[in-house]
Amino acid sequence: MSSEIKILEVLDYLPKRIRHMVKMLPDATLTEIEEIRLRLGKPLCVAGCGMEIFLDAEGKGPDDPGKAYLVSEDDLKCTLQLVCNFSMYSVEEELKNGFVTVSGGHRVGVCGRTVIEKGKVKTVKDISYMNFRVAKQIIGASDKVIGYLIRSPDCIYNTLIISPPQCGKTTMLRDIIRKLSSGNKATHIKGMKVSLVDERSEIAACSMGIPRNDVGIRTDVLDGCPKAEGIIMMIRSMSPEIIATDEIGRREDADAITDAVNAGVKVVTTIHGSNIEDFLNKQDLIRIQKGVFERYVVLSRKRGVGTLETILDGRFNILYEEKYK
Amino acid sequence: MLLKIIGGLLIVFASGLLGILFSNRLSLRYRELTNLRRFMQMLETEVTYGATPLPAALYNISNKAEGVIGKFFSTVSDSLTDRSFYTVRDAWNESAEVILEQSSLQRPDIELIKNFGSILGCSDREDQEKHFKLFYLQLRHHEDAAMEEIKKSGKMYRSLGFILGIAIFVVLV
Repeated sequence: MSSEIKILEVLDYLPKRIRHMVKMLPDATLTEIEEIRLRLGKPLCVAGCGMEIFLDAEGKGPDDPGKAYLVSEDDLKCTLQLVCNFSMYSVEEELKNGFVTVSGGHRVGVCGRTVIEKGKVKTVKDISYMNFRVAKQIIGASDKVIGYLIRSPDCIYNTLIISPPQCGKTTMLRDIIRKLSSGNKATHIKGMKVSLVDERSEIAACSMGIPRNDVGIRTDVLDGCPKAEGIIMMIRSMSPEIIATDEIGRREDADAITDAVNAGVKVVTTIHGSNIEDFLNKQDLIRIQKGVFERYVVLSRKRGVGTLETILDGRFNILYEEKYK
Repeated sequence: MLLKIIGGLLIVFASGLLGILFSNRLSLRYRELTNLRRFMQMLETEVTYGATPLPAALYNISNKAEGVIGKFFSTVSDSLTDRSFYTVRDAWNESAEVILEQSSLQRPDIELIKNFGSILGCSDREDQEKHFKLFYLQLRHHEDAAMEEIKKSGKMYRSLGFILGIAIFVVLV
Protein backbone atom coordinates (compact mmCIF):
# COMPACT_ATOMS: atom_id res chain seq x y z
CA MET A 1 0.00 0.00 0.00
CA SER A 2 1.28 3.40 -0.86
CA SER A 3 -1.27 5.47 0.96
CA GLU A 4 1.38 7.73 2.38
CA ILE A 5 2.31 8.87 -1.07
CA LYS A 6 -1.40 9.27 -1.76
CA ILE A 7 -1.87 11.94 0.85
CA LEU A 8 1.13 13.83 -0.48
CA GLU A 9 -0.61 13.95 -3.85
CA VAL A 10 -3.56 15.66 -2.23
CA LEU A 11 -1.34 18.19 -0.50
CA ASP A 12 -0.38 19.56 -3.91
CA TYR A 13 -3.83 21.09 -4.08
CA LEU A 14 -3.64 22.92 -0.78
CA PRO A 15 -2.24 26.39 -0.15
CA LYS A 16 1.31 26.54 1.16
CA ARG A 17 0.36 27.32 4.75
CA ILE A 18 -2.08 24.46 5.15
CA ARG A 19 0.17 22.06 3.31
CA HIS A 20 2.90 22.92 5.75
CA MET A 21 0.67 22.27 8.75
CA VAL A 22 -0.51 18.90 7.50
CA LYS A 23 3.00 17.82 6.59
CA MET A 24 4.14 18.36 10.18
CA LEU A 25 1.98 15.47 11.34
CA PRO A 26 3.82 12.25 12.09
CA ASP A 27 4.01 9.75 9.21
CA ALA A 28 1.84 7.23 11.01
CA THR A 29 -0.98 9.75 11.20
CA LEU A 30 -0.50 10.84 7.60
CA THR A 31 -1.09 7.31 6.32
CA GLU A 32 -4.36 7.12 8.20
CA ILE A 33 -5.84 10.40 6.98
CA GLU A 34 -8.95 9.90 4.89
CA GLU A 35 -10.25 13.42 4.82
CA ILE A 36 -8.99 16.98 5.04
CA ARG A 37 -11.79 19.41 5.72
CA LEU A 38 -11.75 23.15 5.14
CA ARG A 39 -14.63 25.19 6.46
CA LEU A 40 -14.61 28.97 6.23
CA GLY A 41 -13.82 30.51 9.59
CA LYS A 42 -13.77 27.12 11.28
CA PRO A 43 -10.86 25.03 12.51
CA LEU A 44 -8.84 23.12 9.94
CA CYS A 45 -9.57 19.45 10.42
CA VAL A 46 -8.09 16.16 9.27
CA ALA A 47 -9.90 12.92 9.88
CA GLY A 48 -9.56 9.23 9.25
CA CYS A 49 -9.80 5.83 10.88
CA GLY A 50 -12.07 7.13 13.61
CA MET A 51 -9.81 9.98 14.63
CA GLU A 52 -10.32 13.68 14.16
CA ILE A 53 -7.55 16.22 14.58
CA PHE A 54 -7.91 19.99 14.52
CA LEU A 55 -4.61 21.43 13.40
CA ASP A 56 -3.01 24.57 14.76
CA ALA A 57 -0.39 26.72 13.10
CA GLU A 58 2.43 24.49 14.32
CA GLY A 59 0.80 21.42 12.80
CA LYS A 60 -0.07 19.93 16.15
CA GLY A 61 -3.49 18.92 17.36
CA PRO A 62 -4.44 21.07 20.33
CA ASP A 63 -7.02 19.51 22.62
CA ASP A 64 -9.17 22.57 22.41
CA PRO A 65 -10.56 23.15 18.89
CA GLY A 66 -10.71 26.85 19.78
CA LYS A 67 -6.93 27.07 19.53
CA ALA A 68 -6.78 25.47 16.12
CA TYR A 69 -6.00 27.27 12.88
CA LEU A 70 -9.08 28.92 11.38
CA VAL A 71 -9.48 28.54 7.65
CA SER A 72 -9.56 31.93 5.92
CA GLU A 73 -11.35 33.07 2.81
CA ASP A 74 -8.01 33.37 1.05
CA ASP A 75 -7.20 29.74 1.82
CA LEU A 76 -10.44 28.57 0.26
CA LYS A 77 -10.09 30.78 -2.82
CA CYS A 78 -6.57 29.60 -3.37
CA THR A 79 -7.49 25.95 -2.84
CA LEU A 80 -10.33 26.24 -5.28
CA GLN A 81 -8.03 27.65 -7.94
CA LEU A 82 -5.54 24.86 -7.42
CA VAL A 83 -8.21 22.16 -7.43
CA CYS A 84 -9.74 23.30 -10.69
CA ASN A 85 -6.33 23.99 -12.22
CA PHE A 86 -6.94 27.76 -12.22
CA SER A 87 -9.92 27.32 -14.48
CA MET A 88 -13.38 27.18 -12.96
CA TYR A 89 -14.87 26.89 -16.42
CA SER A 90 -13.12 23.59 -17.07
CA VAL A 91 -14.84 21.87 -14.14
CA GLU A 92 -18.29 23.36 -14.67
CA GLU A 93 -19.99 19.99 -15.07
CA GLU A 94 -18.25 18.52 -12.06
CA LEU A 95 -19.19 21.47 -9.88
CA LYS A 96 -22.84 20.86 -10.67
CA ASN A 97 -22.46 17.51 -8.95
CA GLY A 98 -20.68 19.07 -6.02
CA PHE A 99 -17.25 17.56 -6.42
CA VAL A 100 -14.14 17.67 -8.54
CA THR A 101 -11.93 14.65 -9.13
CA VAL A 102 -8.26 15.59 -9.15
CA SER A 103 -5.47 13.50 -10.58
CA GLY A 104 -4.80 10.44 -8.49
CA GLY A 105 -8.52 9.80 -8.17
CA HIS A 106 -8.95 11.94 -5.09
CA ARG A 107 -12.27 13.55 -4.61
CA VAL A 108 -12.74 17.14 -3.56
CA GLY A 109 -16.26 17.87 -2.40
CA VAL A 110 -17.34 21.51 -2.52
CA CYS A 111 -20.27 23.20 -0.98
CA GLY A 112 -21.49 26.76 -0.77
CA ARG A 113 -24.34 28.63 -2.36
CA THR A 114 -26.01 26.98 -5.32
CA VAL A 115 -27.23 28.86 -8.36
CA ILE A 116 -30.41 27.34 -9.73
CA GLU A 117 -31.53 27.59 -13.32
CA LYS A 118 -34.66 25.88 -14.63
CA GLY A 119 -34.98 23.86 -11.44
CA LYS A 120 -31.49 22.39 -11.75
CA VAL A 121 -28.27 23.29 -10.05
CA LYS A 122 -26.32 25.45 -12.50
CA THR A 123 -23.24 25.97 -10.42
CA VAL A 124 -21.99 26.38 -6.89
CA LYS A 125 -20.67 29.78 -5.92
CA ASP A 126 -19.33 31.35 -2.73
CA ILE A 127 -17.66 28.05 -1.97
CA SER A 128 -17.01 27.96 1.74
CA TYR A 129 -16.71 24.27 2.53
CA MET A 130 -14.31 21.84 0.95
CA ASN A 131 -13.61 18.25 1.76
CA PHE A 132 -10.61 16.40 0.36
CA ARG A 133 -11.28 12.69 0.33
CA VAL A 134 -8.13 10.72 -0.12
CA ALA A 135 -8.72 7.90 -2.56
CA LYS A 136 -7.22 4.72 -1.34
CA GLN A 137 -7.08 1.95 -3.80
CA ILE A 138 -6.31 -1.09 -1.77
CA ILE A 139 -5.07 -3.92 -3.91
CA GLY A 140 -6.20 -7.12 -2.26
CA ALA A 141 -9.21 -5.68 -0.43
CA SER A 142 -11.39 -8.45 -1.82
CA ASP A 143 -9.06 -11.41 -1.23
CA LYS A 144 -11.37 -12.92 1.39
CA VAL A 145 -14.50 -12.45 -0.65
CA ILE A 146 -13.55 -13.31 -4.20
CA GLY A 147 -13.67 -17.08 -3.67
CA TYR A 148 -17.34 -16.92 -2.79
CA LEU A 149 -18.25 -15.06 -5.94
CA ILE A 150 -16.86 -17.47 -8.51
CA ARG A 151 -19.20 -20.08 -9.93
CA SER A 152 -16.79 -21.49 -12.51
CA PRO A 153 -13.58 -20.04 -13.96
CA ASP A 154 -15.47 -18.03 -16.57
CA CYS A 155 -18.67 -17.29 -14.69
CA ILE A 156 -19.51 -15.49 -11.48
CA TYR A 157 -22.55 -15.01 -9.29
CA ASN A 158 -24.56 -11.80 -9.45
CA THR A 159 -23.25 -9.98 -6.42
CA LEU A 160 -24.50 -7.16 -4.24
CA ILE A 161 -22.22 -5.48 -1.72
CA ILE A 162 -24.15 -3.95 1.17
CA SER A 163 -22.40 -1.43 3.37
CA PRO A 164 -22.93 1.86 5.18
CA PRO A 165 -21.04 4.86 3.74
CA GLN A 166 -17.29 5.01 4.39
CA CYS A 167 -16.91 1.28 5.00
CA GLY A 168 -14.95 0.48 1.90
CA LYS A 169 -17.57 -0.79 -0.50
CA THR A 170 -16.20 1.12 -3.45
CA THR A 171 -12.71 -0.03 -2.59
CA MET A 172 -13.92 -3.62 -2.45
CA LEU A 173 -15.88 -3.31 -5.68
CA ARG A 174 -12.85 -1.86 -7.44
CA ASP A 175 -10.68 -4.71 -6.30
CA ILE A 176 -13.25 -7.31 -7.34
CA ILE A 177 -13.48 -5.71 -10.78
CA ARG A 178 -9.72 -5.68 -11.12
CA LYS A 179 -9.46 -9.36 -10.20
CA LEU A 180 -12.28 -10.51 -12.48
CA SER A 181 -11.07 -8.41 -15.38
CA SER A 182 -7.40 -9.29 -15.21
CA GLY A 183 -7.93 -12.93 -14.28
CA ASN A 184 -5.58 -15.05 -12.25
CA LYS A 185 -4.36 -18.55 -12.99
CA ALA A 186 -3.58 -19.33 -9.37
CA THR A 187 -7.14 -18.66 -8.22
CA HIS A 188 -8.64 -20.14 -11.39
CA ILE A 189 -10.26 -16.96 -12.63
CA LYS A 190 -10.30 -16.53 -16.36
CA GLY A 191 -10.26 -12.86 -17.23
CA MET A 192 -13.70 -11.61 -18.17
CA LYS A 193 -14.87 -8.58 -20.11
CA VAL A 194 -16.10 -6.08 -17.58
CA SER A 195 -18.13 -2.99 -18.42
CA LEU A 196 -17.87 -0.45 -15.67
CA VAL A 197 -20.53 2.23 -15.48
CA ASP A 198 -18.85 4.76 -13.25
CA GLU A 199 -21.50 7.39 -12.66
CA ARG A 200 -19.64 9.29 -9.98
CA SER A 201 -16.13 8.67 -11.33
CA GLU A 202 -15.29 7.06 -8.05
CA ILE A 203 -14.33 3.55 -9.04
CA ALA A 204 -11.94 4.11 -11.90
CA ALA A 205 -11.45 7.80 -11.03
CA CYS A 206 -11.06 8.80 -14.65
CA SER A 207 -9.58 12.12 -15.45
CA MET A 208 -9.47 13.12 -19.12
CA GLY A 209 -10.82 9.65 -19.94
CA ILE A 210 -7.96 7.71 -18.41
CA PRO A 211 -8.65 5.56 -15.32
CA ARG A 212 -6.37 6.65 -12.50
CA ASN A 213 -7.07 3.49 -10.55
CA ASP A 214 -6.20 -0.01 -11.69
CA VAL A 215 -9.47 -1.61 -12.77
CA GLY A 216 -8.02 -4.50 -14.74
CA ILE A 217 -7.04 -5.16 -18.33
CA ARG A 218 -10.41 -6.16 -19.78
CA THR A 219 -12.43 -3.32 -18.32
CA ASP A 220 -14.25 -0.72 -20.39
CA VAL A 221 -15.17 2.37 -18.42
CA LEU A 222 -18.17 4.54 -19.17
CA ASP A 223 -17.42 7.59 -17.11
CA GLY A 224 -19.97 9.94 -15.60
CA CYS A 225 -23.00 8.28 -17.19
CA PRO A 226 -26.23 7.73 -15.24
CA LYS A 227 -26.31 4.06 -14.24
CA ALA A 228 -29.61 3.03 -15.78
CA GLU A 229 -28.78 4.46 -19.21
CA GLY A 230 -25.17 3.40 -18.96
CA ILE A 231 -25.99 -0.24 -18.27
CA ILE A 232 -28.18 -0.46 -21.37
CA MET A 233 -25.58 1.35 -23.49
CA MET A 234 -22.83 -0.98 -22.37
CA ILE A 235 -24.88 -4.13 -23.04
CA ARG A 236 -25.54 -2.94 -26.56
CA SER A 237 -22.14 -1.64 -27.42
CA MET A 238 -19.41 -3.46 -25.51
CA SER A 239 -20.71 -7.06 -25.23
CA PRO A 240 -19.75 -7.40 -21.58
CA GLU A 241 -19.68 -10.58 -19.53
CA ILE A 242 -19.92 -8.60 -16.33
CA ILE A 243 -21.46 -5.21 -15.64
CA ALA A 244 -20.18 -3.37 -12.61
CA THR A 245 -21.64 -0.25 -11.11
CA ASP A 246 -21.77 1.60 -7.84
CA GLU A 247 -24.56 2.57 -5.43
CA ILE A 248 -27.82 1.52 -6.98
CA GLY A 249 -30.98 2.86 -5.40
CA ARG A 250 -33.48 4.18 -7.90
CA ARG A 251 -36.24 2.34 -9.67
CA GLU A 252 -34.56 2.81 -13.07
CA ASP A 253 -31.44 1.16 -11.71
CA ALA A 254 -33.46 -1.89 -10.73
CA ASP A 255 -35.02 -2.06 -14.19
CA ALA A 256 -31.67 -1.77 -15.92
CA ILE A 257 -30.19 -4.49 -13.73
CA THR A 258 -33.10 -6.79 -14.52
CA ASP A 259 -32.49 -6.14 -18.21
CA ALA A 260 -28.82 -6.94 -17.83
CA VAL A 261 -29.47 -10.19 -15.96
CA ASN A 262 -32.07 -11.20 -18.54
CA ALA A 263 -29.53 -10.52 -21.26
CA GLY A 264 -27.24 -13.06 -19.63
CA VAL A 265 -24.80 -10.56 -18.27
CA LYS A 266 -23.54 -10.91 -14.71
CA VAL A 267 -23.85 -7.96 -12.39
CA VAL A 268 -21.66 -6.74 -9.54
CA THR A 269 -22.92 -3.71 -7.70
CA THR A 270 -23.17 -2.01 -4.31
CA ILE A 271 -25.85 -0.41 -2.17
CA HIS A 272 -26.02 1.64 1.02
CA GLY A 273 -27.29 -0.24 4.05
CA SER A 274 -26.01 -1.99 7.12
CA ASN A 275 -27.64 -5.40 6.67
CA ILE A 276 -29.70 -7.46 4.28
CA GLU A 277 -33.00 -6.14 5.72
CA ASP A 278 -32.08 -2.59 4.70
CA PHE A 279 -31.89 -3.80 1.11
CA LEU A 280 -35.16 -5.73 1.33
CA ASN A 281 -36.95 -2.67 2.74
CA LYS A 282 -36.17 -0.46 -0.25
CA GLN A 283 -39.46 -0.03 -2.11
CA ASP A 284 -37.87 1.18 -5.31
CA LEU A 285 -35.81 -1.95 -5.70
CA ILE A 286 -38.64 -4.45 -5.33
CA ARG A 287 -37.97 -5.93 -8.78
CA ILE A 288 -34.51 -7.11 -7.88
CA GLN A 289 -35.05 -8.20 -4.31
CA LYS A 290 -35.75 -11.82 -5.21
CA GLY A 291 -34.02 -14.08 -7.62
CA VAL A 292 -31.56 -11.62 -9.11
CA PHE A 293 -28.59 -11.58 -6.79
CA GLU A 294 -26.91 -14.82 -5.87
CA ARG A 295 -24.39 -13.46 -3.42
CA TYR A 296 -24.74 -10.72 -0.82
CA VAL A 297 -21.62 -9.34 0.85
CA VAL A 298 -22.21 -7.23 3.97
CA LEU A 299 -19.49 -4.87 5.22
CA SER A 300 -19.09 -2.74 8.34
CA ARG A 301 -16.33 -0.86 10.09
CA LYS A 302 -16.49 -2.70 13.39
CA ARG A 303 -12.87 -3.73 13.05
CA GLY A 304 -11.73 -0.89 10.89
CA VAL A 305 -12.84 0.07 7.42
CA GLY A 306 -13.84 -2.85 5.23
CA THR A 307 -14.67 -5.40 7.92
CA LEU A 308 -16.39 -8.34 6.28
CA GLU A 309 -19.56 -9.14 8.23
CA THR A 310 -21.39 -11.85 6.34
CA ILE A 311 -21.75 -13.41 2.92
CA LEU A 312 -25.18 -14.74 1.99
CA ASP A 313 -26.33 -16.74 -1.01
CA GLY A 314 -29.42 -16.06 -3.12
CA ARG A 315 -31.73 -17.69 -0.57
CA PHE A 316 -30.14 -15.76 2.29
CA ASN A 317 -28.31 -18.77 3.68
CA ILE A 318 -25.17 -17.74 5.51
CA LEU A 319 -21.98 -18.78 3.72
CA TYR A 320 -19.61 -16.82 5.89
CA GLU A 321 -19.99 -14.97 9.14
CA GLU A 322 -17.48 -12.93 11.07
CA LYS A 323 -17.16 -14.23 14.59
CA TYR A 324 -16.47 -11.67 17.29
CA LYS A 325 -14.80 -12.96 20.40
CA MET B 1 28.44 72.70 -56.94
CA LEU B 2 27.60 69.06 -57.72
CA LEU B 3 29.24 68.00 -54.47
CA LYS B 4 27.14 70.49 -52.56
CA ILE B 5 23.91 69.19 -54.07
CA ILE B 6 24.82 65.56 -53.31
CA GLY B 7 25.74 66.47 -49.72
CA GLY B 8 22.53 68.40 -49.26
CA LEU B 9 20.41 65.54 -50.61
CA LEU B 10 22.11 63.18 -48.18
CA ILE B 11 21.24 65.43 -45.26
CA VAL B 12 17.60 65.73 -46.30
CA PHE B 13 17.43 61.98 -46.88
CA ALA B 14 18.97 61.13 -43.49
CA SER B 15 16.80 63.40 -41.40
CA GLY B 16 13.72 62.27 -43.33
CA LEU B 17 14.59 58.68 -42.45
CA LEU B 18 14.94 59.67 -38.83
CA GLY B 19 11.39 61.07 -38.90
CA ILE B 20 10.02 57.85 -40.40
CA LEU B 21 11.81 55.86 -37.70
CA PHE B 22 10.11 57.87 -34.98
CA SER B 23 6.68 57.48 -36.51
CA ASN B 24 7.23 53.72 -36.86
CA ARG B 25 7.77 53.49 -33.16
CA LEU B 26 4.27 54.77 -32.68
CA SER B 27 2.74 52.20 -34.95
CA LEU B 28 4.46 49.43 -32.97
CA ARG B 29 2.09 50.03 -30.06
CA TYR B 30 -0.83 49.70 -32.42
CA ARG B 31 0.54 46.48 -33.83
CA GLU B 32 1.04 45.01 -30.38
CA LEU B 33 -2.51 45.90 -29.42
CA THR B 34 -3.96 44.17 -32.47
CA ASN B 35 -1.71 41.21 -31.78
CA LEU B 36 -3.07 41.13 -28.26
CA ARG B 37 -6.60 41.06 -29.60
CA ARG B 38 -5.79 38.15 -31.88
CA PHE B 39 -4.24 36.05 -29.12
CA MET B 40 -6.98 36.91 -26.67
CA GLN B 41 -9.47 35.64 -29.23
CA MET B 42 -7.53 32.39 -29.42
CA LEU B 43 -7.60 32.21 -25.64
CA GLU B 44 -11.32 32.80 -25.65
CA THR B 45 -11.81 29.86 -27.99
CA GLU B 46 -9.69 27.65 -25.77
CA VAL B 47 -11.68 28.72 -22.74
CA THR B 48 -15.24 28.78 -24.00
CA TYR B 49 -15.21 25.95 -26.54
CA GLY B 50 -12.34 23.73 -25.50
CA ALA B 51 -12.68 24.28 -21.74
CA THR B 52 -8.92 23.76 -21.65
CA PRO B 53 -7.41 24.52 -18.24
CA LEU B 54 -5.54 27.81 -18.28
CA PRO B 55 -1.93 26.63 -17.95
CA ALA B 56 -2.39 24.37 -20.99
CA ALA B 57 -4.42 26.94 -22.93
CA LEU B 58 -1.87 29.70 -22.39
CA TYR B 59 0.96 27.36 -23.32
CA ASN B 60 -0.76 26.32 -26.55
CA ILE B 61 -1.23 29.90 -27.61
CA SER B 62 2.23 31.02 -26.64
CA ASN B 63 3.52 28.43 -29.10
CA LYS B 64 1.65 30.10 -31.93
CA ALA B 65 2.19 33.66 -30.80
CA GLU B 66 5.27 35.66 -31.55
CA GLY B 67 6.59 38.75 -29.88
CA VAL B 68 6.06 40.12 -26.46
CA ILE B 69 2.50 38.83 -26.00
CA GLY B 70 3.60 35.27 -26.66
CA LYS B 71 6.32 35.65 -24.09
CA PHE B 72 3.79 37.06 -21.63
CA PHE B 73 1.44 34.09 -22.06
CA SER B 74 4.18 31.53 -21.71
CA THR B 75 5.45 33.23 -18.54
CA VAL B 76 2.00 33.11 -16.96
CA SER B 77 1.60 29.48 -17.97
CA ASP B 78 4.99 28.55 -16.52
CA SER B 79 4.45 30.29 -13.23
CA LEU B 80 1.09 28.56 -12.79
CA THR B 81 2.47 25.15 -13.64
CA ASP B 82 5.42 25.32 -11.30
CA ARG B 83 3.27 26.88 -8.59
CA SER B 84 5.29 30.06 -8.17
CA PHE B 85 1.91 31.72 -7.74
CA TYR B 86 -1.25 30.35 -6.23
CA THR B 87 -3.77 32.44 -8.12
CA VAL B 88 -4.12 33.43 -11.75
CA ARG B 89 -4.38 37.07 -10.72
CA ASP B 90 -0.99 37.11 -9.03
CA ALA B 91 0.75 35.25 -11.82
CA TRP B 92 -0.90 37.42 -14.45
CA ASN B 93 -0.12 40.72 -12.70
CA GLU B 94 3.47 39.85 -12.01
CA SER B 95 4.14 38.74 -15.59
CA ALA B 96 2.39 41.82 -16.94
CA GLU B 97 4.64 44.07 -14.88
CA VAL B 98 7.83 42.26 -15.81
CA ILE B 99 7.25 41.37 -19.47
CA LEU B 100 4.92 44.02 -20.83
CA GLU B 101 6.95 46.80 -19.27
CA GLN B 102 9.59 46.14 -21.95
CA SER B 103 7.12 46.44 -24.80
CA SER B 104 5.84 49.50 -26.64
CA LEU B 105 2.54 49.21 -24.78
CA GLN B 106 1.73 52.22 -22.66
CA ARG B 107 0.71 52.33 -19.01
CA PRO B 108 -3.09 52.37 -19.62
CA ASP B 109 -2.75 49.34 -21.91
CA ILE B 110 -0.90 47.37 -19.26
CA GLU B 111 -3.48 48.33 -16.63
CA LEU B 112 -6.25 47.08 -18.90
CA ILE B 113 -4.49 43.74 -19.33
CA LYS B 114 -3.82 43.47 -15.61
CA ASN B 115 -7.47 44.02 -14.78
CA PHE B 116 -8.43 41.06 -16.89
CA GLY B 117 -6.25 38.76 -14.81
CA SER B 118 -8.59 38.97 -11.84
CA ILE B 119 -11.46 37.61 -13.93
CA LEU B 120 -9.75 34.99 -16.04
CA GLY B 121 -10.59 31.45 -14.95
CA CYS B 122 -12.79 32.54 -12.07
CA SER B 123 -16.22 31.72 -13.43
CA ASP B 124 -18.11 29.43 -15.79
CA ARG B 125 -17.76 29.48 -19.54
CA GLU B 126 -20.76 31.67 -20.21
CA ASP B 127 -19.51 34.29 -17.82
CA GLN B 128 -15.96 34.12 -19.17
CA GLU B 129 -17.28 34.75 -22.65
CA LYS B 130 -19.02 37.93 -21.48
CA HIS B 131 -15.84 39.17 -19.86
CA PHE B 132 -13.89 38.50 -23.04
CA LYS B 133 -16.43 40.52 -25.02
CA LEU B 134 -16.12 43.39 -22.57
CA PHE B 135 -12.36 43.20 -22.80
CA TYR B 136 -12.50 43.52 -26.59
CA LEU B 137 -14.68 46.61 -26.27
CA GLN B 138 -12.20 48.26 -23.96
CA LEU B 139 -9.33 47.15 -26.15
CA ARG B 140 -11.01 48.84 -29.09
CA HIS B 141 -10.73 52.20 -27.33
CA HIS B 142 -7.02 51.67 -26.81
CA GLU B 143 -6.57 50.65 -30.43
CA ASP B 144 -8.45 53.73 -31.61
CA ALA B 145 -6.31 55.95 -29.43
CA ALA B 146 -3.15 54.34 -30.80
CA MET B 147 -4.41 54.79 -34.37
CA GLU B 148 -5.25 58.41 -33.70
CA GLU B 149 -1.76 59.01 -32.44
CA ILE B 150 -0.24 57.43 -35.51
CA LYS B 151 -2.29 59.66 -37.77
CA LYS B 152 -1.53 62.82 -35.85
CA SER B 153 2.00 62.49 -34.55
CA GLY B 154 3.16 59.99 -37.15
CA LYS B 155 2.58 62.37 -40.00
CA MET B 156 4.12 65.19 -37.97
CA TYR B 157 7.31 63.25 -37.27
CA ARG B 158 7.72 62.34 -40.89
CA SER B 159 7.21 65.83 -42.28
CA LEU B 160 9.25 67.31 -39.47
CA GLY B 161 12.16 65.08 -40.48
CA PHE B 162 12.16 66.33 -44.05
CA ILE B 163 11.62 69.95 -43.12
CA LEU B 164 14.48 69.79 -40.67
CA GLY B 165 16.69 68.28 -43.36
CA ILE B 166 15.82 71.04 -45.81
CA ALA B 167 16.35 73.71 -43.14
CA ILE B 168 19.83 72.39 -42.39
CA PHE B 169 20.57 72.31 -46.12
CA VAL B 170 19.46 75.92 -46.54
CA VAL B 171 21.50 77.09 -43.56
CA LEU B 172 24.59 75.27 -44.79
CA VAL B 173 24.29 76.65 -48.31
